[in-house]
Amino acid sequence: MDFSLSEERKMLQETVARFFENNYKDIKKRGEYLKMTDGFSREFWKESSNLGVISGLVSPAFGGLGGSGEDICIIFELIGKSLCIEPFLSSGLLSNTILSSLNNPKTDLINQIIEGKLLMSFAHMEMNNRYEDHFVETKAKLEKETWKLNGSKSFVINGDSADKVIISARIEGKVNDKNGIGLFLVDNNNINNRPYNTIDGYRSTEMSFENINGELLCKDDQALECVIKTNSAGALALSAEAVGIMQICFDLTLDYLKTRKQFGKSIGTFQSIQHRMVDMMLEIEQVRSAVMLASSTFELNSTTRDKNVSAAKNLVGRVGKLIAEESIQLHGGIAMTWEYSVAHYAKRLIMIDHLMGDADYHRDRFKLLSSI
Amino acid sequence: MNFEYSKKDENFRIEVREWLRETLPHYLSEKVKKYQRLTKEDYELFMNNLSKKGWLAWHWPVEYGGTGWNAIEKHIFEEEIVKASAPRIVPFGVNMLGPVLIEFGSEEQKNYYLPRILNNEDWWAQGYSEPGAGSDLASLKTTAIDKGDHYLVNGQKTWTTLGHHADMIFCLVKTDLNVKPQLGISFLLIDMKSPGVEVKPIITLDGEHEVNEVWFTDVKVPKKNLVGKENEGWTYAKYLLTFERTGIAGVPNSKSALNHLKMVSRKSMKNGKPLIDDPIFSSEVAELEIDLLAMEIFNLRTVSAATEGKAPGMESSLLKIKGTLVRQKTTELLRKALGPQALPYLPEQFDEGWNEMPIGPEYAGPIAKQYFNMRKISIYGGSNEIQKNIVAKASFGL
Repeated sequence: MDFSLSEERKMLQETVARFFENNYKDIKKRGEYLKMTDGFSREFWKESSNLGVISGLVSPAFGGLGGSGEDICIIFELIGKSLCIEPFLSSGLLSNTILSSLNNPKTDLINQIIEGKLLMSFAHMEMNNRYEDHFVETKAKLEKETWKLNGSKSFVINGDSADKVIISARIEGKVNDKNGIGLFLVDNNNINNRPYNTIDGYRSTEMSFENINGELLCKDDQALECVIKTNSAGALALSAEAVGIMQICFDLTLDYLKTRKQFGKSIGTFQSIQHRMVDMMLEIEQVRSAVMLASSTFELNSTTRDKNVSAAKNLVGRVGKLIAEESIQLHGGIAMTWEYSVAHYAKRLIMIDHLMGDADYHRDRFKLLSSI
Repeated sequence: MNFEYSKKDENFRIEVREWLRETLPHYLSEKVKKYQRLTKEDYELFMNNLSKKGWLAWHWPVEYGGTGWNAIEKHIFEEEIVKASAPRIVPFGVNMLGPVLIEFGSEEQKNYYLPRILNNEDWWAQGYSEPGAGSDLASLKTTAIDKGDHYLVNGQKTWTTLGHHADMIFCLVKTDLNVKPQLGISFLLIDMKSPGVEVKPIITLDGEHEVNEVWFTDVKVPKKNLVGKENEGWTYAKYLLTFERTGIAGVPNSKSALNHLKMVSRKSMKNGKPLIDDPIFSSEVAELEIDLLAMEIFNLRTVSAATEGKAPGMESSLLKIKGTLVRQKTTELLRKALGPQALPYLPEQFDEGWNEMPIGPEYAGPIAKQYFNMRKISIYGGSNEIQKNIVAKASFGL
């Protein structure tokens, strides 16, 4: 049994940590990135590529330098700590996971993403499919050996700036059939995009399309397993991101308790506040533990993988709410301001529960997978 | 990272499991499973077996008759004891007093008491809490007045677990009344057969007799029974309280309780269907299982750090808090699972050899009683509120 990181991974951690720290020194910088055309800094993304951060999310089998559950978690925990808004989730993880899971992996596209030359997004969510892997209304039909797609996709993170998009669409069957979906590669120029910012500082888009061409990547069982695996990878990454955010929320709150004086003494000397800080600390260790388990079992069979990811994401949802709300409450009024960073960490932490399955969704999936 | 047990650890687990299978009598594990009352002889049988095997003092240093196990092995040992439904090892002599004597006892005390603990010859009790000294332990009032060749002890201890079986008790007593509380305390070993010692049972809310009051009236205690130096007992007491406790989270107990909960909620019915099929109830079970899963890893992280010589500090306190909350939640859900079947209370059901028809399923009998009994775990050993004070003081720098 060994809970420490290997030397190689420690180095990855140190390099990426320094890089993020230098580029995301304060929350104003993030605000500037968000105001850019794409909602992030292309320059920073290019540097991430040069430094090998994107390839840290991809297995060596496809030209990357990492790609394991542990690698994903190291990088995303640091993303959480700096509240980084670059397209690591959409391009770096979700798209690469699909492209590498195909029978004929699209190694050329993966390499272009790693090199920072290509941006991609995974458009699976729809206005009414909540978090389901198989509930797909968008339609695909074959016309003269060409696949034509019709429908709309929602909440596609960084979808507006993507060059190519992977779209899940129903080939046959009813809207919630497990079978009958396919994944298609589409050129984003053919899609109508309505971009917007999310409340937690990301760029997202609503997509609509009529009779556009798509290249079939996979269908049926393979497509469903691909969606499930990709969503699990995303849920794992977001869980690790949440650990980073929780730690920062805790540290900022503790610092504040030491400096803020009321009734003639620092408010951290009050026992009612100290006990709540201990509750936060304890729950963060619980989440950290669950994420460690999920990351180290991510390469095992899909049942173990998904069960442990669901345990982690469920806990992230529950504890995330505690940490976000308590960080704001213990700070008091200052945490209500746009200017102060804790507000932005809290918003991201809460909205992580609205992505890739919330606490309820993952609790129910955990139930199924552990036959409760 | 690697969460697997090594081959060596797995072999050790098999060795412990095999030994328990061979030496633990069936009737005894059945009693434990059914929450029947254990007699003094039941505890002693198991502890004598451990003693013969050389495993009773499982966390003492080898030179004093300990096992030399590392933290992972200790953790495995604790897990297997619970899985086998063995009685718990009565901790007062071997787990609590032993390490204090090894660290602070005189040569004479070590030579006399340690082998007796190893051979399970004395039943020890703990004399810490008093009616007016619970969480604020240093405010204790029992006095030991220097009378030349002996101390004269007067006062009252309380919550003395299994004190009615005890031959000896280690006590915190006041030897100096004129200094601030922590500075005037001494650590004294008292023979329970001394004239002036009286044990009175306390019946707890579940109707059971496990804890006692111990009264001291002009009890003469020889000077050689003082551990370490006079008025420095508080240091020894704290050492005992913070002594390495890998099992503080009670993970094995909660795991076995969770399995029991699943069994009961499959058998309990709601609208003609198993309760476990009720989405709200099963959601509570699922989130409890997730909390336990996370705590198991948290505990293993702490255990694993301990094998590398990193003494668990505030982690022990955090694990104690979470461990008690998780355990109490299992007893709460078990109680809820029974519905009205939780109502009947037949104290005689927990006597050995009781063979009448239970009311409702046999497993229902102990559940409500156990729920009430388990309220104690977030109170004793430093209440959860005290644990939070400890963590805040140790790690917040406030």
